[in-house]
Amino acid sequence: MIRRLWKVAFAEWKLMYTDPAAVLLLVVAGVLYAFYYPTPYIHQTVTKVPVAIVDMDNTAMSRDLIRMASASQQIEVKAVYSEMMQAEEAMSRDEIYGFMAIPENMEKDIRSHRQVTVNIFTHGAYVMFHGAIGTAFSTCALTLGATNKVKQIALSKKVPSAKAIAMRDPFPLSIQTLYNSTGGYANYVVPSVLVVILQQSLIIGICVLGGSRAHRRFRKKMRNSPVENETLPYRYFGRSLAYFVHYCSFILFYHCIVYNLFDFPRRGELLPMVVFSVVFLASTINLGMVVSQVFLRRESSMQLFLYLSIPILFLANFSWPSYLIPSWMVAVSYILPSTFAVPAWLSIEQMGGDIYDVAPRLYLLAVQAVVYLALGLLLTRARDKVKLDIGDM
Amino acid sequence: MLLQGFLKTVRKIYFSHNLVLWLILLVLPVGVSVFMLGLFSSQIVQHVPIGIVRQDDSYLADRLESKLRSSPVLNVKMICHDMGECEHAVIRGELQGFLVLPNDLERRALRFESPVIPVYSSGQNYLTNMFATKEIRAVLSAAGSEMFTAQMDDPVKTEIHSVGNVEGNYQGFLGLGLVTALFHLAAMIVGVYVASFPLRDHRVREMLGYARGSRFTLWFASVVPMNVILWLGMIGCYAYSHRLLAPMTLNEFVMTAAAQLFMILACSGAGIVFVGVTGVMRIATGAAGVIGSPAFAFAGQTFPVMAMPFAVRCFAFVLPLTHALKIQSMMLLGDLSMGPAWEVLKVLIGMALFWNLLGAFLMSMRWKQFARREAEFEEKMRTAPEASA
Repeated sequence: MIRRLWKVAFAEWKLMYTDPAAVLLLVVAGVLYAFYYPTPYIHQTVTKVPVAIVDMDNTAMSRDLIRMASASQQIEVKAVYSEMMQAEEAMSRDEIYGFMAIPENMEKDIRSHRQVTVNIFTHGAYVMFHGAIGTAFSTCALTLGATNKVKQIALSKKVPSAKAIAMRDPFPLSIQTLYNSTGGYANYVVPSVLVVILQQSLIIGICVLGGSRAHRRFRKKMRNSPVENETLPYRYFGRSLAYFVHYCSFILFYHCIVYNLFDFPRRGELLPMVVFSVVFLASTINLGMVVSQVFLRRESSMQLFLYLSIPILFLANFSWPSYLIPSWMVAVSYILPSTFAVPAWLSIEQMGGDIYDVAPRLYLLAVQAVVYLALGLLLTRARDKVKLDIGDM
Repeated sequence: MLLQGFLKTVRKIYFSHNLVLWLILLVLPVGVSVFMLGLFSSQIVQHVPIGIVRQDDSYLADRLESKLRSSPVLNVKMICHDMGECEHAVIRGELQGFLVLPNDLERRALRFESPVIPVYSSGQNYLTNMFATKEIRAVLSAAGSEMFTAQMDDPVKTEIHSVGNVEGNYQGFLGLGLVTALFHLAAMIVGVYVASFPLRDHRVREMLGYARGSRFTLWFASVVPMNVILWLGMIGCYAYSHRLLAPMTLNEFVMTAAAQLFMILACSGAGIVFVGVTGVMRIATGAAGVIGSPAFAFAGQTFPVMAMPFAVRCFAFVLPLTHALKIQSMMLLGDLSMGPAWEVLKVLIGMALFWNLLGAFLMSMRWKQFARREAEFEEKMRTAPEASA
């Protein structure tokens, strides 16, 4: 029995490596994307964002604020203007991505204990710039305010400066990032994308190779081979075995090489990794086997699934939290392995979660695998019986 | 004559029960765009789940907890007994972060010992982590300043304004970019499909017949309707996603629409070039997918192009999406950007011209080659029975 299964698996591998479209999807895409996606984010964080300052006060205090902003790592002060219009024009020319407006009479107002509002303007189209510029300018302006407040407290309450500092901020915060200590963008985006790449390339690859149906039309020459005429269970499980082993090697490749090369956190333990690989691949392969029975042409799956990659990624709770997604969309997302696989993979590999931490998601993946297995067998059986005159599957 | 041939070819390509073509030309790009915008319908991040490890049982700790609970951005989902409990909840994805109200918090604060409150965020979700830590800082700082210096305002207050996206909503930030990225990919895939299905189905001679033998007519009949339909679909989706932002002026609309048109022309032209080079729909679609699918990651809207390595910046420059997004974001700033936007538009026009001229040349060769092959095959089929007879 095992020999028959392996025979089918070997035949599938041979087909996989001799079909250019299958090679592109099942081999090249998995390797290429692993390097292609992380490369833009190799510097991880945004530094030295070009910005400007509009100094309408022109006092010693405003110059202090400008010096502070110039020393910030996240931004680079390209120019100091005296009018807002000049900064707006520079932003429209893409020379700067934000600016801080120091109001007129800032120093005078602060010294006379009146609150001053410092406005920070960022380019509305860039979320990363918005965060970096907003944080850098706010920190400088609030530090200036804090220094002055400490002075005010010390003078008005007649206390030493150490006590004044404690009175201004009685319980300071220490913010720490647990599983992405550098705050790198690649650490956050790439691991999730890698799981989606595995899923998408595997499903499309299975569809391009016709799933487990007998007498694949595009293999006219092989129609009489014993492997193509195997009984359904051997055909189904033998071909699944080929994809399973092939994609296990991809998971190993990502874990051992890609994660090391790009220095992503690698905290995965063996047991949860193995269980994850088994249930995730089982679920994805069976979904591929189901979907492959729907298409009449080999490239149709590619055309459909290429469009779905972006929504699939966002439905995986990777960027936009699932509790903010409309409930019907959450329900739709339950049909996709990535919905559970992406958070499970992050828990295991990035956060070092144990098997108990990820068990609920792995159960759901296992349930998907069983449902898709039953559906895949049924659909393949139905497709084997139907004689189709159109298409190349 | 020419017009008749053109119309007949259009009818045969687009209206001869070609379900897949309409699916990838209109249904999927529009449907997926609307779906994506629906996904961000809550617009801003709220109710971020956090936990609190309460080691202190004082009045101050109660007050801080209630202030955190009253924040709309945060959702205090769990009061943990120890740090391990909260940490495992973060790993399970139930919490985005937690903070520790340490032992003797109130007593030490009243003695001016400045007890530190540690805040831990997971770091695995850029947006929710950013919002959660900002809000925790704001809430606790406000509570801290009320303790001893309630009558004293902070000397400096900051206000952050997002120009062109006043509400700072996520749909505005990402929605516009994602819609453009989807149509960028769609134009490539449709370009591949329209150019390659006559080759795949061995219908080149038939199509040339409808076009009265003119490859020029066949080219126009293939290319014009798909670009017009994609462009109109894109303008519709873009307007739908733009409704939450400040309304556009006519000039801004014309500039944005022109950028979108030339982006679609460049991408469909590139798709046609893939077919011209490979001659096979499957491989050309694969190539379009490999280049088009991750284009959004390179185009600078999520992670700025200036922070990417030089080689990646060159690749980003070659993508029409980068320039289209640049014009779209320039138009968010109003009429001031019109001059610089023209410069970017020139690059897009150049790309559209280059890809379409190259595509036309390569497809002309392919049609000639495939028509000859079809004729030879037909000849062989006709002579085979005669020979056997």
